[in-house]
Amino acid sequence: MSAISPTMPLLQQQAIIDFLCRVAGAQDVQLQTVKLLTGGAIQENWLLELAITGGDYAGHLAVVLRSDAASAVSSSHSRAQEFALLQAAFAVGVTVPEPLWLGEKTVFGRDFFVMRKANGIAAGHRIVKDTSLGGDRELLTERMGEEMARLHRIQPPNERLAFLPVPELSPALQGIRIFRQFLDSHPTPFPALEWGIHWLERYAPRTTELVLAHRDWRTGNYMLDEQGLTAILDWEFAGWSDRLEDVGWFCARCWRFGQFNNEAGGIGSRTALYRGYERIYGQPLEWQNVYYWEVYAHVRWAMIAIQQGERHVSGQEPSLELALTAHIVPELELEILRMTL
Amino acid sequence: MREQPDGRALLAIARTVLREQLLPLLPKEQHYSALMIANAMSIAERQLQYGDAPQQAEHQALVALLQQEGDLVFLQRELVRRIRLGWLDEQTEAKQLLWSMTEQRVRESAPKSLSRSG
Repeated sequence: MSAISPTMPLLQQQAIIDFLCRVAGAQDVQLQTVKLLTGGAIQENWLLELAITGGDYAGHLAVVLRSDAASAVSSSHSRAQEFALLQAAFAVGVTVPEPLWLGEKTVFGRDFFVMRKANGIAAGHRIVKDTSLGGDRELLTERMGEEMARLHRIQPPNERLAFLPVPELSPALQGIRIFRQFLDSHPTPFPALEWGIHWLERYAPRTTELVLAHRDWRTGNYMLDEQGLTAILDWEFAGWSDRLEDVGWFCARCWRFGQFNNEAGGIGSRTALYRGYERIYGQPLEWQNVYYWEVYAHVRWAMIAIQQGERHVSGQEPSLELALTAHIVPELELEILRMTL
Repeated sequence: MREQPDGRALLAIARTVLREQLLPLLPKEQHYSALMIANAMSIAERQLQYGDAPQQAEHQALVALLQQEGDLVFLQRELVRRIRLGWLDEQTEAKQLLWSMTEQRVRESAPKSLSRSG
């Protein structure tokens, strides 16, 4: 991530210092570095390097303050909900940035939370090629499977995650309903996508148990350093689903960043991923059903790509990157046809 | 006739200058933007290259397949309606048309993905 410049207003800095003193039980907190890491339409991430005197966190502490953007557009989860998701994942041993403190609007003018800073590289195209990152790739892939299985130990009902809607239908059929509602409201018909959705409806699995799924667990959304995995990121889409949704999303061809022979996320083998998953889950899974969720992944990514393109096309958010994302849709559709015709 | 070189040829030469002359001079963190610009230009170039012919062909093929008249969007909607009803499940000809319609859009938006192995 590269630093984009604007700095935090001094008043806000003082408010953050007071807040950190209180929640960390410190006598004094010095802000040594304040840097905006990513500023988007939805969230801002600030890197804060702290020198803390007194309390449980005395010493140097690097954290990320994640807040709603100043002009926030609606997003799927609020900061408080995202904090709760991180806490839930952290508690079952998933490698996430440790969630430290949830802030109040009165402190910063908008919702935020503070998490420990995780180090590493997330860029997908780099991760699949640069094998100096992540350690042994088969071990890394196995670890991914283990991590997923750990997350999937969380099941509804869960009081702290009560904000997550429980699907009325099976997760697959629920998704299909949402896809069709979206396409019905869109001015352009997408016949190939409709075919894919029809296929998904025809072969929809009966999900017998719901689990907490990340729903965006793919290469590009986790960080690696030289040794291995340092953090699973981007919990925006997390929700109750079928455990194979995460596996299918991770393995889908569209998320391999060109390394198509490494079928697990462009980084390793399916065998390694499945082995790691089963080690934690403790029983065999019907892995042949992952194919269904890979088709589902292509359809869902196509829906998201159309929506992202729409943000540019509508004139609300002119962006070359968003504009080009719309042009990914045809190749996703062709892949869907390859898999289902 | 329009002034030559036409839009397509202008995009092609402009893209070459961007990639061969400007890109090496740009700081590394701007490379991604430059490559996105080059990609956008090549999509525009291919759309100009194919023109309206593929859409006209698709229109004619849909009229023949669905035995209905109407504009392209209307016919695509009718195809979507029939897909949802399961009409395509046993229709080899319709599936072939669906494939070729999609393939043409890939030719314009991301032709590299057509030559994939396996």
